[in-house]
Amino acid sequence: MVPEDRKYAASHEWIKMDGDTALIGISAFAVTELSNGNEGDMVYCDLPEVGRVLATGETFGEIESVKAVGDLNAPVGGEVLEVNTSIEDHLEILCDDPWKAGWLIRIKPETTDWGHLLDAEAYEGTLAEQA
Amino acid sequence: MRLITTWGAAPEFNMGLDEALLLSPDAPPTLRLYSWSPDTLSLGYFQRFDSVPGAEQAGAIVRRITGGGAIHHVNELTFSLTAPLSYHLYRCPLPRSYERVHASITRALQHFGIAAAPAANQPLASDRADTGMCFHHSTPADLAWNGRKGVGSAQRRTGGRVLHHGSIKLGSSMLEGDIACLPLDGGEQDLARVLLKCFSADWDEEFVPGEPSESELARVELLGPRYTSTEFLHRR
Repeated sequence: MVPEDRKYAASHEWIKMDGDTALIGISAFAVTELSNGNEGDMVYCDLPEVGRVLATGETFGEIESVKAVGDLNAPVGGEVLEVNTSIEDHLEILCDDPWKAGWLIRIKPETTDWGHLLDAEAYEGTLAEQA
Repeated sequence: MRLITTWGAAPEFNMGLDEALLLSPDAPPTLRLYSWSPDTLSLGYFQRFDSVPGAEQAGAIVRRITGGGAIHHVNELTFSLTAPLSYHLYRCPLPRSYERVHASITRALQHFGIAAAPAANQPLASDRADTGMCFHHSTPADLAWNGRKGVGSAQRRTGGRVLHHGSIKLGSSMLEGDIACLPLDGGEQDLARVLLKCFSADWDEEFVPGEPSESELARVELLGPRYTSTEFLHRR
């Protein structure tokens, strides 16, 4: 079950309101794909500078595991207010808690109309197709 | 699937074309079989330049957009497989996509009397600390024989498309000693012919020889020079 308190992009990023800002991370499915359940398989995560303004869908970072390098895309555009720098040095956080402690960036979203994104049920449907 | 073979191509061309195929949403699924001239060391995308102490011994140096360790592209068959995520080979969990490609390579190696198998979680005799070389660092999906790594792969996934890079070793080099090799009189092109048959049979795929399109070549002109630029090589 994926959390119902957030929205999802088909490329496996999630976004969730936190006060009047929004947190962005990647789903447990994405983490498992990259790490195969092995924390040591995660190699590197490159996150943006605070202050960068992202467009919806723009690549804001990259993540590498022993299996693949993948892009991190902004589900919603906005200014980067904060970066979870602890992730860059401790990728195991992503494996342990991708939904909460493993958030990647905090943004000031340019809109709260997230109709282009998937709700939890729809996102889970896409996962079933990829299994 | 389109098949593009380029023997002895320049490093900027090889890397630029692979990126062009990855970034072109309309590009057909494409298998490239290729080799390099001059011999080239490719760094992994996130790899630190100074983590490969022997890098300068290679004829040229590039940085790949796929991850992993450095590879000395000499005495090897290099391949790239670029396709949308919806392509049947990739409609599966990521580790499975490696298994599918590597199963076909295993069959091709069998043709030459080599019994390759995934390294799994066993340490290999080719594992070395501190060389920064891909073939001196094994991961479970890598193919090994004689207790050593002989096939390495890496993927880049972007924009709903996948670039799968692979190297199959025909010989060692001064930067990649004590690895598994498939010595062939006919070199990489002998292996390429057998590999193509195995890919074709296993994937129920017809490979149609082709060339890069004009727009792809134009993109190579733009993308290629970055790969040998000081800025990109020393980005980490």
